[in-house]
Amino acid sequence: MGKTKVSDISRAGDEQLLELTSLDWMTLPCPSDQPLSIRPLPDEQRSQIEHSLDGISALGIPKPTSKGEEDGLVQSFLNGLRKLLSHDDNWTFWQPLVYSLESCVKCQTCSDACPIYLSSGKQEIYRPTYRGEVLRRIINKYIKKGGRISSKLKGEEIDLNWPTVARLAELAYRCTLCRRCAQWCPLGVDNALISREIRKLFSQELGIAPKELHDFGTIQQLSKGSSTGMTPVAFRDSIEFMEEEIEEITGRRIEIPIDKEGADILLLHNAGEFLSWPDNTEAFAIIFDALGISWTLSSDLAGYDSVNYGVWYDDVQLARIVLTHAEVANKLKVQKILIGECGHAHKTLLVIADRILTGELNIPRESALPLLEDAVCNGRIKLDPSRNDFPVTLHDPCNLVRLTGIVEPQRRIVRKICPQFREMEPHGVENYCCGGGSGFAIMSSRNFPDWKMTVSGRMKFKQVLDAFQDVGDPEAERYVCAPCSNCKGQLRDLLSYYQAREKHSVFYGGLAELIVNAMVDLEQPFIQWEWH
Amino acid sequence: MSGIVLFFFYGSILICIIASVVRMTKYARAPLHLRWELYRGSSVYELTDWWDRSPPRFGEKLRVVILDILFLREFYHRNRSLWYFLFLFHIGLYLLFLWHLWLLITAVTLPFESAWTGGLAFGHVATLLSLIGGSGILIKRIVDKELSVHYPRIHYLKWVLILLILLGGFLAVVFHFDSNLPELLGYVKAQVTFQDMELKLHPALAPASHVFFVSFWLLYLPFSHVLQISFRYYQHLRWDDVPNRQGSTIERKVKGHLDRPISWAAPHIKSGKRWGEVIGDTEDL
Repeated sequence: MGKTKVSDISRAGDEQLLELTSLDWMTLPCPSDQPLSIRPLPDEQRSQIEHSLDGISALGIPKPTSKGEEDGLVQSFLNGLRKLLSHDDNWTFWQPLVYSLESCVKCQTCSDACPIYLSSGKQEIYRPTYRGEVLRRIINKYIKKGGRISSKLKGEEIDLNWPTVARLAELAYRCTLCRRCAQWCPLGVDNALISREIRKLFSQELGIAPKELHDFGTIQQLSKGSSTGMTPVAFRDSIEFMEEEIEEITGRRIEIPIDKEGADILLLHNAGEFLSWPDNTEAFAIIFDALGISWTLSSDLAGYDSVNYGVWYDDVQLARIVLTHAEVANKLKVQKILIGECGHAHKTLLVIADRILTGELNIPRESALPLLEDAVCNGRIKLDPSRNDFPVTLHDPCNLVRLTGIVEPQRRIVRKICPQFREMEPHGVENYCCGGGSGFAIMSSRNFPDWKMTVSGRMKFKQVLDAFQDVGDPEAERYVCAPCSNCKGQLRDLLSYYQAREKHSVFYGGLAELIVNAMVDLEQPFIQWEWH
Repeated sequence: MSGIVLFFFYGSILICIIASVVRMTKYARAPLHLRWELYRGSSVYELTDWWDRSPPRFGEKLRVVILDILFLREFYHRNRSLWYFLFLFHIGLYLLFLWHLWLLITAVTLPFESAWTGGLAFGHVATLLSLIGGSGILIKRIVDKELSVHYPRIHYLKWVLILLILLGGFLAVVFHFDSNLPELLGYVKAQVTFQDMELKLHPALAPASHVFFVSFWLLYLPFSHVLQISFRYYQHLRWDDVPNRQGSTIERKVKGHLDRPISWAAPHIKSGKRWGEVIGDTEDL
């Protein structure tokens, strides 16, 4: 197969633009360098679902059954594209989108920044500029006046047909929106934003979005209370369970306050913590108790789930959840919202929400990390670093670090309490995405999980192994600290996929757990090294 | 040539100005967007009660912008092999701009004989830098497969045009004006002050060619990436960290946006209403 061109995206039929093979992929260190493969879709799905991009289906878009249906979908796409370029329908991102579409000089500097492009063996369709170029050409040819002539003159070939639209929809979900490409771009072009805007077009105009993000994500959160499906009753039960666990560990009953009106702080956790990593919630409760903080959790709709999947695919859903979170805090009359270890909740509530909330709903919002840093680094709790005397490395969640600028508090904490701390390379704002960003961590339909393990998560797995390569004892426990619930989800799946627990003794967890593990008041270690 | 070059030159200046204003207006009228900035390092969010802290000062931002534009620092850090030629080209252009400014001012304010004698050499060095840089970029764009990805055919012509302008200007000064500074200044003065219409209507081939190519470039300029460099900062990719306070201009603008109509067609969006109404309504989801 020759080098894929931009115009190939319009190729008719089911033929894939890319056949993924591990022979092309970035090599991993031994013994993880074994060839792996991605499961092809079963024949039944291949006949019913669009897969002509690379044989992967993240969205499960049904194939149209008639030419009329295809034409209708293409027309809807064009309608959506016009709205994407309108001030009224897209005031939210018009300026950075148009700037990014009009300013790329094709220097391809961003390509060297993209972990997916690099991990895949530099496949053209995963190049950060590829999908932007597709969208740019469609706009130039089909939206702008005289576009067909100017496109011909410029040699910008592309045809807008159903295969183009279907492949572009899937292609928008081959980017984790880590925005490392935008950080690299000398002109500030944001190709990740272009991916997001394509996702948005499909969601807001055609109603096409991954079920995990929309139906079971934002819709479920706004109707049932959490994207996990957890109801307020189940939430209260899980808190009760956590209080019992804390009592077992500390020998003391620590109450986790719920719906305490007038508390200083409303702590928002990602509901994934309650279900999969309750020790993170417990650690926060133990620290806050030690600090004597006035705080509360909320059992209100969406009040116990800080996630906002809208940030990855849909502005309307994004804004709805932001408003809901603010209303919960307003109702409890707290002084501020504190965001737990969830990267995209930080970006959404601290940064993006600033241009959605007005009046009394614009409640002060803050990261929990500065507070934890103050507790650790200013001696507000008694800690013994020798309790954390095992190799620790720190993952930088994109949304928390590169996209919100919270870089140092977590570093100062682990430097203080983890004698064997070592940085990943690269780290800080230049660190790579875990491969589960932008919703990938929870997207598990069809053969998409294979892709996110072998391609999008490949760079992170290599970084983790490299960070611990100097640890001689193969049995020594190694800890990857990831202060983000989604990143933890991806790391859990990634480390399991490559059997890193068995082969390399690599474990993962949050930041608060490390702090509590070092607390001198605790008689037994808080970190139990139990895989969950 | 009669008056074609003259008409084309002044027409191109006019079109360049009008098109640039139109384009800048388009960006200046862009609606305030949701915050989406990136960080090079620690931000104000590393602090408790960050909303009470002052955002970075205008002077600090301006310093970064000027250094970035002058030295193309991002290219230096991220794409060094391209930076060498880009830097030569751009620094040459900046110097050429200053040289033309010096020519214009000197031509109308000083006796030609008392003009700075190093002026010509200054212009030649600036042209040479741009020529080396521009040629290097064009060659790299052709031979480096990575740099030719998605690069439109028409942009190769752009580089040829720029090189023709630079070369044409250099040849005109050296051969037509015989590297004679007073003669060059006299020509410039005639152009600026509309003194010698005969010269304008029937220009010599060398300066006419230079002016002709420059006119083409002026027509292209408003549609190029040059104008957009400043918008990189304007669109707040780096610094959009002025908090939205109650009663502020930002809040007023946000409220205005929430009153805009929304027409997206997906079922979960109740089209035909205002943004504020739609995002406040989660009843039937």
